[in-house]
Amino acid sequence: MAPSVLIVDDHDRFRVTVRRALERDGWIVAGEAVDGAGALRAARALQPDLVLLDVGLPDMSGLEVLRRLRDGMPQLVVVVVSTHESADYHEIAVANGARGFLAKSELTGAALDALLAG
Amino acid sequence: MAVRMRMEQAVARAVADATDAGDAYIRALAAIAAGVEWPLAAAWEPDHFDPDALRCVAVWAADEDGPRAFAEVTRATTLRRGEGLPGRVWQSGRATWIRDAATDDRLPRRDAAAAAGMHAAVCFPVRSDRGLVGLVEAFGPQARQPDADLLAALDVVGVQLGQVVERRRAEESQHRSEQRYRATLQAALDCVVTMDDRGRVIEFNPAAERTFGYRSEAAVGHDMADLIVPPELRERHRRGLARFLAGGAPRVLDRRFEIDAMRADGSIFPVELAITRIDVPGAPVFTGYLRDISERRWAEAELRASRARIVDAGDAARRRIERDLHDGAQQQLVSVAIGLRQARERLDEDPAAARELLDEAIEDLAQGLAELRELARGIHPAILMDGGLQPALHGLVRRSAVPAQLISVPADRLPQAVEVAAYFVVAEALTNVVRYASAAGLVEIDVVHRDGRLIVEVRDDADGGADPAGGGLRGLADRIAVLDGSLDVQSPAGGGTTIHAEIPCAS
Repeated sequence: MAPSVLIVDDHDRFRVTVRRALERDGWIVAGEAVDGAGALRAARALQPDLVLLDVGLPDMSGLEVLRRLRDGMPQLVVVVVSTHESADYHEIAVANGARGFLAKSELTGAALDALLAG
Repeated sequence: MAVRMRMEQAVARAVADATDAGDAYIRALAAIAAGVEWPLAAAWEPDHFDPDALRCVAVWAADEDGPRAFAEVTRATTLRRGEGLPGRVWQSGRATWIRDAATDDRLPRRDAAAAAGMHAAVCFPVRSDRGLVGLVEAFGPQARQPDADLLAALDVVGVQLGQVVERRRAEESQHRSEQRYRATLQAALDCVVTMDDRGRVIEFNPAAERTFGYRSEAAVGHDMADLIVPPELRERHRRGLARFLAGGAPRVLDRRFEIDAMRADGSIFPVELAITRIDVPGAPVFTGYLRDISERRWAEAELRASRARIVDAGDAARRRIERDLHDGAQQQLVSVAIGLRQARERLDEDPAAARELLDEAIEDLAQGLAELRELARGIHPAILMDGGLQPALHGLVRRSAVPAQLISVPADRLPQAVEVAAYFVVAEALTNVVRYASAAGLVEIDVVHRDGRLIVEVRDDADGGADPAGGGLRGLADRIAVLDGSLDVQSPAGGGTTIHAEIPCAS
């Protein structure tokens, strides 16, 4: 069965871009959320295989959302994304419970597969 | 002897009530002429600007044709040292008697004297502590031999008259000086308030009356602190005065400082104050020079506020740029990156899909470039720098989301700051129409360079009701104020909006 993903990002255009790219690569987009509160609600409701979480959200920091997601649903796999440098964010994302970090410009299905496998 | 006494007394009585030096001369001359029963007496003094010349300063003449005519000639005559009767007495310093002026070849006025029936003549010096200060001459109707008694009497009169004239002159000078001082105070724009050592008002000039709201009569004699010092500062004022009077070092004298003052209606306002102690004998007298600086304070506050606004505007512009870059162009480039990677992944197994992905990436890239161009134009349009207002405003009109027409725009280049300000007035005005107006017909843009000013007007016939203090327009107003220009927004509700800016711009 195709893996399902929840996209959490407040930039409309990015969500469209990622949905297009991931569906092309065989993923199913279970849902989208535009802020932290929405992300928590959607994760609980949809139980996706993966959450793609943007660092910069309007209502709370992405890292805060990451912590709450992992606290509430420890089996949830979260990958943190950002336009910022991966070198800056990789360590802290992982320290807070993420599986890894991807720069948005590198976000293809293949890159995700590689990160989740490795 | 009797002649002398009578003459002295007559002159003394005559000049006793003289109002000034000129008056003293006239009265003395009249008394002298009456004393010798002669029809004319004149007084001479060295000219103020040409001390070697003698001028007639006063004449007394009997009311007959001859004396009046001679008086006219005398008034018009100037004599030099040694010249004529007064000139000779000036040179010799001794009273002189001429038997018959009508036949004396040495006298410039001989012919006039003959025509007027003036014959005997006497002239004596007027003396004071300074020495010889003037001369008095008298003319009689018949030739006469010198009269020794009369000469002696006139000598004494000369000294008497000299003292009177000097004293009157000194009083006049003092009086004029006081008048000038008074006039200066009356005319002064600054408030001048004088206070005695008990703290009471001695003088309160018209500027103080206007500023504080007290008539001078109402202020003089009252405690100055109660009148113009705010209640919370009175104790400090009184202590300071007491301390100074007790010998303490002055703390507030002879320097300018800012402090609060109080008007008659109790309102408090800021003043710049300087206090000096006046140099008069006796108990100390203090003069305060005050200037109402409310307007200056307001201007300073406005300057600080406008500076803060300009800095904020700069920060806000930077934040907008960052956001536009992040949300716009950067997102486009992220799409391009993902598309290119996916194309590369499929290149071998699925070239058709790869080609499709490349086409999409090219499209995204084109959009990204367009966004960057648009952003750059918003920051500082290159065409304005390169071509000036004409092409730049045409570009704004072309890209405008609402119909706009450029009525006129100067073809010549103007100083960069002026062009930039004018450009943003039009850009902001068009943005406002797009943003706020629900029904806009045509926006008219009119830019003229005339009389040393650039006049920019943007008119629309939309709803009106624009807020002149709104962010975009406020920033514009500051930008134009920096150039010493003016911005006016007329926006009656329901009646269209006119934005009118004038920027000084040398032709």
